[in-house]
Amino acid sequence: MTCLEVRELLPEHAIGVLGELERERIHRHLLTCAGCRKEAGDLGQAASTLAFALPPARVPEGLGEQVVARVRRAAGVPRTRRRARTATAGLIAAAIVFASLGWGAVMAGRAERFADRAAQAQRQQAIAIEHFQQVLGNVIPGGAPSDNETHIGQLAPVASGTGGGFALQLVSPRILDFVMVIVNGLDDPSALPMRVQLVNDRGRVLRAGRIDALDANGGAEVYHQFRTQGLGGFTTVNVVDSDGRLVLTGTVDQSD
Amino acid sequence: MIGRPDGPLLAREEQQLVEGLLGGNEDAVRALYARYARPIFTLGLRLLGSAEAAEELTQDVFLAAWRKAARFDPARGRLSTWLMTIAHNLAVDRLRRETGVTRPHLVLVDEVPELEWVDEEQPLIERDAAIRALESLSDAEKRLLARAYFGGLTAREIAEADGIPLGTVKTRLRTALIKVRRANQDKERP
Repeated sequence: MTCLEVRELLPEHAIGVLGELERERIHRHLLTCAGCRKEAGDLGQAASTLAFALPPARVPEGLGEQVVARVRRAAGVPRTRRRARTATAGLIAAAIVFASLGWGAVMAGRAERFADRAAQAQRQQAIAIEHFQQVLGNVIPGGAPSDNETHIGQLAPVASGTGGGFALQLVSPRILDFVMVIVNGLDDPSALPMRVQLVNDRGRVLRAGRIDALDANGGAEVYHQFRTQGLGGFTTVNVVDSDGRLVLTGTVDQSD
Repeated sequence: MIGRPDGPLLAREEQQLVEGLLGGNEDAVRALYARYARPIFTLGLRLLGSAEAAEELTQDVFLAAWRKAARFDPARGRLSTWLMTIAHNLAVDRLRRETGVTRPHLVLVDEVPELEWVDEEQPLIERDAAIRALESLSDAEKRLLARAYFGGLTAREIAEADGIPLGTVKTRLRTALIKVRRANQDKERP
């Protein structure tokens, strides 16, 4: 969408009457356009003024505890172990946010054949990585992961297969090691469930997750944080079908 | 953790709360709830029309805030704005799901039965300021914003209902919102 198109819709966006598709398209534009972002923020604040002006209703007693309990359940966190485990929830939530913003599709896009498109794709991916590091910076103690803690790799189809993918690993002394794999363009639902595996040079295989369903674009995401296992050396990322046949494969460069 | 319970939060206080959410801190959830449960519940009541639905919405909003905390960007607006936007969007989405239509069918303001309001001795945080900001609008502008925000009407639907050009409605919506924003900015100036 162009700025002109976005700005025409921003009042209705602020008021909240646009459909999900338009909202998402605008959101993607706002990620990279500071001017429209400012305008959206201003109009959004103005619209929320309407809500704050309502005569206040009495909030039922006990609702606050229900809210806290629900958040606690969603985090899957017993109170006594809260600190250690919520860091995991935060990290995975941040990764989900990243994917939901559409960056996953950018990262998992198939390689472009033409030099100018490839360069454009690389620029988009660089922006995506920077954005992801910023997002993670909010949840990782000590701030955003550095480049030498963040390792990426592209996944390509084997033989005449379709689709593509992207793997990002966090290998860090500060946090539990983490992998995010995003795929798209997979067009064979009969291959489900697929599995994501990480393999080291000695052939040891770690299971990183399972893909049970594909979206309309043949896409899916897998996130996994390893509690006891470091990911150092597990540089090969494979996506295999339900019969164990290789669908996508790629290498994460951990040498940064 | 956060001082001045009766005034708007400072940017760094908002950031503290968001960092608390990201860290999975229950106290941050409680602090956020203490500040914003009432306007969120009130909005839910107004849009969804029942206390039960408003309770569910309130729970959903705080859960979404916890899940989406990494997405909060102070450069794009206040924490209160972010939360109310989540609340409004969730209410609209819920109504869309329940009615099976592609645009929101919200409960019109006039159709909401009178509910038990709290007395005004404990003013809602930011309510006075919001009312003052809305005073900058003409009655026609207030009605227009209310039809869109509480009635869920798109600019096109308003244009068709009133028999006026779509562009005119869009311009009027933008103008009204900018007036409110300007009034908000004026009140924020020392």
